[in-house]
Amino acid sequence: MTKIFSNFNWNVQTLGDHAIQFYLPPIMDPRVIGEIKNFNDFIVAAAAKGIKDIIPSYHTLTLIYDIELMNTPLDFANDLIEKYKSQREINLPNKELNKIIDVPVCYDESFGIDLISMSSKLNLSITEIIKIHTQNIYQVYCLGFMPGFAYMGDVNTKIQTARHPQPRQNVSAGSVGIAGAQTGIYPMHSPGGWQIIGRTPLKIFDKDPEVLSKFKMGDQIKFYPITRAEFETLNQNELK
Amino acid sequence: MSVQIVKHGIMDTLQDKGRYGFQHIGIPPCGYLDYLSAQLSNVIVGNPIDAPIFELHFPASSFIFKEDQTICISGANFVPVLNDKSVAMNTAIHVCKNDTLHFMQPLLGKTCYLAIKGNIDSSLWLNSKSDFIAQIKTNDQFNIIAWDADINKNSNNPTEQQNQQSIIDKVQKHIFNSNEIRFIPGPQWNDLSTESISNILKQPFYTSLNSNRMGYQLKGQSLQLMEEKTYLSSAVTRGTMQLLPNGEVIVLMANHQTIGGYANIGQIILVDLPKLVQHKSDTLFHLNLTNVATAHSEYKQMQQWFS
Repeated sequence: MTKIFSNFNWNVQTLGDHAIQFYLPPIMDPRVIGEIKNFNDFIVAAAAKGIKDIIPSYHTLTLIYDIELMNTPLDFANDLIEKYKSQREINLPNKELNKIIDVPVCYDESFGIDLISMSSKLNLSITEIIKIHTQNIYQVYCLGFMPGFAYMGDVNTKIQTARHPQPRQNVSAGSVGIAGAQTGIYPMHSPGGWQIIGRTPLKIFDKDPEVLSKFKMGDQIKFYPITRAEFETLNQNELK
Repeated sequence: MSVQIVKHGIMDTLQDKGRYGFQHIGIPPCGYLDYLSAQLSNVIVGNPIDAPIFELHFPASSFIFKEDQTICISGANFVPVLNDKSVAMNTAIHVCKNDTLHFMQPLLGKTCYLAIKGNIDSSLWLNSKSDFIAQIKTNDQFNIIAWDADINKNSNNPTEQQNQQSIIDKVQKHIFNSNEIRFIPGPQWNDLSTESISNILKQPFYTSLNSNRMGYQLKGQSLQLMEEKTYLSSAVTRGTMQLLPNGEVIVLMANHQTIGGYANIGQIILVDLPKLVQHKSDTLFHLNLTNVATAHSEYKQMQQWFS
């Protein structure tokens, strides 16, 4: 892993007049995420004045800045890359893996409202779909779409299903979905187009500033099945 | 001191300069749509420029003031009426106990600001009072808390009043008298077809009625990529121009999603974003290229007006 990390070559571009975007080749890969997390942590620690937001995604790291506190964004960015590189050479990447977060999911058909149609499309039994979905350890690639929504991957090709062409008006909080190679959980009631296979009783986003998002980029997630009765006991979301 | 909502409008909210530092967990920045008009209104009543303010869309909320207060209305002209007399825009207005304010018709622009001298009392979430999902509702009552004496400077000095009038004129002219909206090319600009690049720079556009605090949809010549392509999602900003697969452009506004997977063909510069915010669907504008240096120098210059 160390060898691969040291080969990453950061590029940078301005994104309009108040953002800078660092980028790596566009590939969806946990190793790229590891590198983005390293650079992200380095910039967070550097705590540069005038940086309002640091937003990681699959292959990019974007900084939102205050124009009045930033004179030459590209110079600033290239300087950050240089400092990061020199620091990285001294401290060989040796970061511990994030611990695995276990997430209970009730795959009852009343929650997993797309299980039946997926089962016939994929030519797999619902039990097999559940087994395959709970087998992998998923990586959180990024967060977005709504507060606390984590894009996780990669979903086993056997159960990959494209999102609905027309999004549903209302998907319940805690719903676990699949969209192609990605899986994720709706933190709150919202419109959404993902294929819904179950529901977690866990609260994924909490407005309490001390809690906020259950997941962060780089986390590893393992789903495990629970019964409807267990769901009711554990449920932290209002039912709808 | 307090103000009460007599009847709420369709999408009126309380906004300040926005909520930063949480986009990495998907929390949109929110904040004023037309920050220049909001700042102007705050300056006129003697508030700090980044004070919370009511942001109104037509049909707008109506208000009743519970005590004597100083207010100012800026941005879009919805023909404000105090009790039964129309009142001027961009002027400090003294209102008395039980005066009511309502708005008659959307004469000019789309987003109006009501500043009240003092700090509008509302719960702070993650360092900001900006509403994200909530809107102001009929019978909501907001206390208005006086600023500490040192922030409170309201000058009646004639030279300062003259200066203030010249700033008002400059801001109004910038926002409402221009049909040019400038942008900086984005990461996928070069993926556009040659014809689309020519169309975007030469053909006029207008805003769709389907525009809100999340994004403004542009109508005009349909744009295409050279070849169909998919992109991995990455961060977007206020002003990002996303090209949808149907050939339309959405310009992201304050309540935008934090990351997006559509082609990012450019970003509208911050000083020109208020122009777009205020553009109604019946007026055409042109999109022109600019660069970071110009965008920065104009932004700094305009912020100087308010200092």
